Amino acid sequence: MNVALQTRPPALSEYYSETKCIWCDGCGNYGIWTAVKYALVELNLHPWQVCLCYDVGCNGNGSDKIEGYRFHGLHGRVIPFAAGAKLANMRIPVIAFAGDGATFSEGIGHLIHGVRSNYPITFVLHNNTNYGLTTGQASSLTPQGQSMNTSPNGIPEHTLASMELIFSLNPTFVARGFSGDIKLMTRILKAAIQHRGFAFVEMLQACPTYNHFATHEYLLNKYFDANADGHDPSNLQQAKALATQVQDRIACGILYQRGDIPHFYDRLIPRQGVETTCVEEVRRYDVSKYWKELA
Amino acid sequence: MVGASGQGVNSIGAIIAKGLKRSGYCVFGYREYPSLIKGGHASYQLDISNQRIRSTETKVNVLIALNHHGLELNMEELKPGGIVLHVTPGWQFPEHHQKLIAERSLRVIYFPVDDILDRLGARAILSNVLLTAFVWSMLDQDLDALKSLVGEKFAKKKALLELNMRCIDEGFSFVDPEQGRISVALPPPDTDFAGHLLITGSQAMGLGAVHAGVRLYAGYPMTPSSPLLSFVAELENKTHMVVKQAEDEITAAQIVSGAMYMGTRALTATSGVGFDLMSETLSLNAMIENPTVFVLAQRPGPATGLPTWTAQSGLLQAANCSAGEFTRCVISVSNSQDAFDLMPVAFNLAEQYQISVIVLTDKQIAEALYTQQPYDLETAEIDRGRLVVDPEKLKLLKSSDRFDPHAKSGVSLRWLPGSEAATYCAQGDEHNSMGAVDESSLNTKSQMEKRLKKFHGLKAGFPAPHLSICGRSATTTDWMDTGDEIELLAIGWGSTGDVLQDVMCSDELRGAEDRLFALHLSLAAPHRRTSEIGHAVETHRPGGAELSGAVGHAHQDGMRHGYPG
Ligand SMILES: Cc1ncc(C[n+]2csc(CCOP(=O)(O)OP(=O)(O)O)c2C)c(N)n1
Ligand code: SF4
Repeated sequence: MNVALQTRPPALSEYYSETKCIWCDGCGNYGIWTAVKYALVELNLHPWQVCLCYDVGCNGNGSDKIEGYRFHGLHGRVIPFAAGAKLANMRIPVIAFAGDGATFSEGIGHLIHGVRSNYPITFVLHNNTNYGLTTGQASSLTPQGQSMNTSPNGIPEHTLASMELIFSLNPTFVARGFSGDIKLMTRILKAAIQHRGFAFVEMLQACPTYNHFATHEYLLNKYFDANADGHDPSNLQQAKALATQVQDRIACGILYQRGDIPHFYDRLIPRQGVETTCVEEVRRYDVSKYWKELA
Repeated sequence: MVGASGQGVNSIGAIIAKGLKRSGYCVFGYREYPSLIKGGHASYQLDISNQRIRSTETKVNVLIALNHHGLELNMEELKPGGIVLHVTPGWQFPEHHQKLIAERSLRVIYFPVDDILDRLGARAILSNVLLTAFVWSMLDQDLDALKSLVGEKFAKKKALLELNMRCIDEGFSFVDPEQGRISVALPPPDTDFAGHLLITGSQAMGLGAVHAGVRLYAGYPMTPSSPLLSFVAELENKTHMVVKQAEDEITAAQIVSGAMYMGTRALTATSGVGFDLMSETLSLNAMIENPTVFVLAQRPGPATGLPTWTAQSGLLQAANCSAGEFTRCVISVSNSQDAFDLMPVAFNLAEQYQISVIVLTDKQIAEALYTQQPYDLETAEIDRGRLVVDPEKLKLLKSSDRFDPHAKSGVSLRWLPGSEAATYCAQGDEHNSMGAVDESSLNTKSQMEKRLKKFHGLKAGFPAPHLSICGRSATTTDWMDTGDEIELLAIGWGSTGDVLQDVMCSDELRGAEDRLFALHLSLAAPHRRTSEIGHAVETHRPGGAELSGAVGHAHQDGMRHGYPG
């Protein structure tokens, strides 16, 4: 992250948008939204210095409820869009948001390659364990057997082991927050935005309208701050165990982080030593030197 | 040159083409091959002239067969007096080919490749060099010129170089024991061509893209778009571009969109069903008014179709595929000249109108080898449309300027993330002037109208289609002057344009110069109206040439300058 020095620090009010919130009462999106604003302000970022990319879903409906350069695109596609934006201008922090439906169904390939590529972006998963915006269908993270809008007899498929999948991809940053703990989410988001590489952040999100099995109260009783409990994020085995074993208690906080693995852009040989961004480099190029071999 | 894929048909073609071009000939290389890596039947045809040629003839003067299948399959294509050069020991021509040889007075030469290779202790792969050298001597070309050409290729591999040179000597000095020395007379060279480039359409497009300021390329391999991806990748260490082989076409399109939204120039290319996958991104870009350029390298057939063959079958796909209605621009390149020239044009149009531009090409253009005049590097402009970068002007912006429905021509101001200014949302849902969701009928109507309005500006700026008489560029006055005399009007677009030019200049049509017209279109959408073209043809009116959305031939009509600023 590398943004211009500012004399006037940003205020929370700069992120205020006049667009009215439209989430249901008690929706976890309010908490995540608030934590994002806190994190950006605490990182000293003005709205014009950030790029926020949203997927489609209830989470994506947050795109016009905050200031900043925002993008609200297609269902399941936010990761490659955000990656393209970042590669074009490495000076701007790029944060992508998506639901569990978008991430683990429609766009799961993008997630896999996003983590694998270690794009230097932050990815925030709004995990409300269902498709909110399309009125409560099961996602691949909904518990097997749970009856949902289009599965009155309970979904037949088994639940996708999301964290096992993530850890199988050699991630460089994995964190988990809970929409009811803004302080914790803020701390996680700040670390994620500062991380050099793909930061995977899961936010366990209450959805009082459609998720009656993992409610705010349920999550509140089960989650705990693993870092406060002494968890060391550099311990891969422990991180994986904490991330995947969620039966009794749900570990939150920064579960895993490695800063020594070069991210995608750092691995691009042609960009080594290039100080400018692709955005700054748009001009007419003399290509005659490239056609010498064709003569 | 015919043989199996993997036998080196292309390398013989490419080296002879380069040598002849340096000697002052215009060559046109044309490749045909099936979708497999080894085996099958592949060919490389070189047409050679001391005048400008732009396409291939169907008949050939010399057939070089690297295997007997080539003899079986291609003998019919020889012209009377032609030469058959083959390498199959003890080959007995079947009766119908013997008849053909007699009727057309063909000369058959057996070139004992295996014997020579054995003698030299060289591997089979060097048969290409042997053959190339023999053909080179048949064409009465200079031995040293060939040596220096091959030398350039193996400059870094000393041992290989020596063996290659011995093969060249052997091949060059080979004399058929029965027929003696054979010479194929070429017309006198025109030294002008010596300074030209030998370039494929894909390479031309890649250079055009770099020239236009493209700094990021993302693509997924699919013939015939793959050579473009390989070419930009080959250049990446020199251009310092970001080149990314994406996991699929959806990703490639989204990466490019993200990069363009951020403000660089980015490109992707694909073919057929790959473009289907990109079409959701096309729709998205229309809604967020994000300029983008897609190259659609057409291939024949639905689905996987005929991957390695050519057709102009993607026009309606490019012009129509989408969710909902919006303005887009479809242009088609015709040859290596406008494959280069139209890339800056495509990016300028995309940024001027904040729309997607789809550039059509096909396998013929992508892989054909053109003798190309070095490109003009002075005239192309980088026009970024209504992009605001000046810090003072940025400060004056309001969020609502970004998608202001009252903007002239429907094109509002655009500024980039990271600019110290009021921010906005590039919103995929229907939105108001600053990008906030607004599904009211009033807003929807004004935003839809805003986006569709771009069509008129775009259309108004295009020049008339290019008209030519027997290869000569013509004006509409020429057309009018002929009155009712037009006997034939051939209408083409894309790669057929050059074929038409060659047909019009052919010996067979000499004498009919004033009555044969070719009309060439490079622009396919905004919606071209075939009824208007038909009307223009029927009435022979010059005014009819101002077809809806039709543009002239780029390099001759100065298309670059004809576009709206
Ligand atoms: C290509 C495509 N398919 C389907 C939809 C319909 N759709 C909108 S939101 C959504 C699911 C949203 O679920 P999730 O991603 O979990 O986000 P949430 O609403 O729960 O925040 C779907 C299927 C769409 N917009 N685009
Ligand atoms: S459906 Fe669920 S996720 Fe969507 S707004 Fe309502 S509570 Fe929030």
